[in-house]
Amino acid sequence: MDFFIQRVFDGLLNGTIYASLAIAIVVIYRATGILNFAQGELATLSAYIGFLFVAPSSLALSGSGLIGVIPGLPWPTPVAMAAAVLFGVAIGALVERFLIRPLEGRSELSIVNVSIGLLIAINALVIELWGTNSRRFPSPFPSEQDDFVFVLGARLRFASIGVWLTVLVVLGLLGLFLHRTKIGLAFRAITSNRSSAQLCGIPSGRILMVGWAVAAGLGALAAVLVSVSGRVFLDPTLMIRILIYSFAAATIGGLDSPVGAVAGGLVVGLTQTMVPAYVPYFSTELSLLPPLLAMLLMLLFRPTGLFGTARVERV
Amino acid sequence: MKAGSDLAASPEALWSEVEAAADAGWPQWVRTLNRTVLVAAGLLLLILPFLVESIALRRNASLLVLSLGVLGLVVATGKAGLISLGHGAFVGLGAFAMGAFVDLVGLPYPLALTASFVTCCLFGWLLGLIALRVKGIYLALITMGLAVVFPSVAKRFPSITGGTSGRPIENTLDAPAWTGLTDSQTIAVRYYFCLVVCIAVFALTRNLLRGRIGRAMQAVRDGETAAAAFGVSIVRLKAGAFGYSAGLAGTAGALQVVLFPFVSHEQFNVFLSFRLYAAAVLGGIGAIIGAIYGVIAIVIVPTLNDIAGGLIRNDGRGLLDNDVIVFGVGLILLTFVSPDGFAGLVQRVGRRFSNRP
Repeated sequence: MDFFIQRVFDGLLNGTIYASLAIAIVVIYRATGILNFAQGELATLSAYIGFLFVAPSSLALSGSGLIGVIPGLPWPTPVAMAAAVLFGVAIGALVERFLIRPLEGRSELSIVNVSIGLLIAINALVIELWGTNSRRFPSPFPSEQDDFVFVLGARLRFASIGVWLTVLVVLGLLGLFLHRTKIGLAFRAITSNRSSAQLCGIPSGRILMVGWAVAAGLGALAAVLVSVSGRVFLDPTLMIRILIYSFAAATIGGLDSPVGAVAGGLVVGLTQTMVPAYVPYFSTELSLLPPLLAMLLMLLFRPTGLFGTARVERV
Repeated sequence: MKAGSDLAASPEALWSEVEAAADAGWPQWVRTLNRTVLVAAGLLLLILPFLVESIALRRNASLLVLSLGVLGLVVATGKAGLISLGHGAFVGLGAFAMGAFVDLVGLPYPLALTASFVTCCLFGWLLGLIALRVKGIYLALITMGLAVVFPSVAKRFPSITGGTSGRPIENTLDAPAWTGLTDSQTIAVRYYFCLVVCIAVFALTRNLLRGRIGRAMQAVRDGETAAAAFGVSIVRLKAGAFGYSAGLAGTAGALQVVLFPFVSHEQFNVFLSFRLYAAAVLGGIGAIIGAIYGVIAIVIVPTLNDIAGGLIRNDGRGLLDNDVIVFGVGLILLTFVSPDGFAGLVQRVGRRFSNRP
């Protein structure tokens, strides 16, 4: 039983992180019908920028002394994390403004190409600047060996609680933003019916830019949280795997449903820890396979996912 | 403002940008240019072993064989409209299959090559059957998942893949002893073997795409319902196209084994798939000549990087430690400048000149 509960805790921790990135994917997909393949790499870059503020000497580039101009380095971890999220917000807005908006009205393939191009370029940039080594992002949560409480006989680490609380607070703020502010209202209007919203005078470009900014910020949060959760290190390929898990989560939950993204994230997180625990064949590295198969089955038999809405298409 | 309605782009609109390059007639001098590039590249490839050291030869040859993977993407994505971000996995599958057929089954090289082509075709065909049920962008998702998970799965079959550390191939392709060739000349023999296979496969694919099958594929890409009404079996065509394209990628992997008698899961990670995709789009995914331009880019970028590094950095390394960045940025820029890749760019410039009164 303890073993089972322990897996539940681990699964929920991973699931929370997948859920945040899945929500980012869903936010963009709902508003624009685009799957952003670069979502993970934008997050990686943001996390590395945050890491730069706690470890200014980490750049593998000559002439990185410029960083020293910024006062007070190294910053405390929570500040660096916030900086990473802010950087994510900024880069998300820039990407929408300069790479996505000019392609309005062009084919799906162009946008896929741009997002793949971004993915490749950002990944290569991170490797160019920081090298391929894994980095240890200092944790803002107590994460020593004995920083845990026993719950139902299993270890619940403080870092996990910290990750959950952070995500809960951020999602709460996101909900407030979408449902209690004018910009949020405009965003929901565009999501629901873009051309009608435009006819009502909503500046769709600017509002979508906010959407991309929010999504990239959420992604940055996911990347930072996974690297401070104390289980994995920050490395240039970290988010590729997490992106696949999150795509699986978003697909299982329904690509146009934020609630579905959270549910899907938790399902994927639990599948990832449970299946390998009870079916030894899927241990560690193959733990990616069960969520992928789940995604495949979902796409084949219920393409709208658990919570998604069916789209009627006219020929 | 033509927003909104375009988001749910119909299949007809989806490929309009790409199709411009493939369908419209090529102006005469562009044909000439494309042909010149082909002939020049062909001649260069023929005499390459006499021009460069064996190490450089091996490096360029391994890029040359990747052209088959790029060609596979032209067939699947450009011609059949199936976006694949997972062709690197098929390259890997082909390499492992080749290793297994050569060592564990003991087939001679030409037979083993055919067998690994067929193996990859089968796997691709099966995946193609699944692909029929999901739409464009989701297929990209599934194939990307496949590419991410492939190395981990490969590690589970250590007798074929060598597990974590990789496996050297025992029965290498060598010149017979009586020819008395030295080791570095053996590389040249392997190189010519690969070159012949590549040329043959390109010719075969060109003929396939020019004939009835190619036209049917274009019809399906441009409008499934209309194509079906004309008696094209969409299921057979799409699954077949994906299978054939996977077979091409697999042949690229098999030829890599010919050049380097060693297989390891590390070579076939998801970034190989991304690089192949980038090369195909950069070259021009709508036309076969695009695959050739794409490979020229794959070969030229590292070379230019080394040269620039020699001029600017002077420490024996390239200007960029990681030249992949060029492909990423190139992919983004070209989407704006020329969505149908370099081949399309050449064509459009060509048409402008030939239309002069």
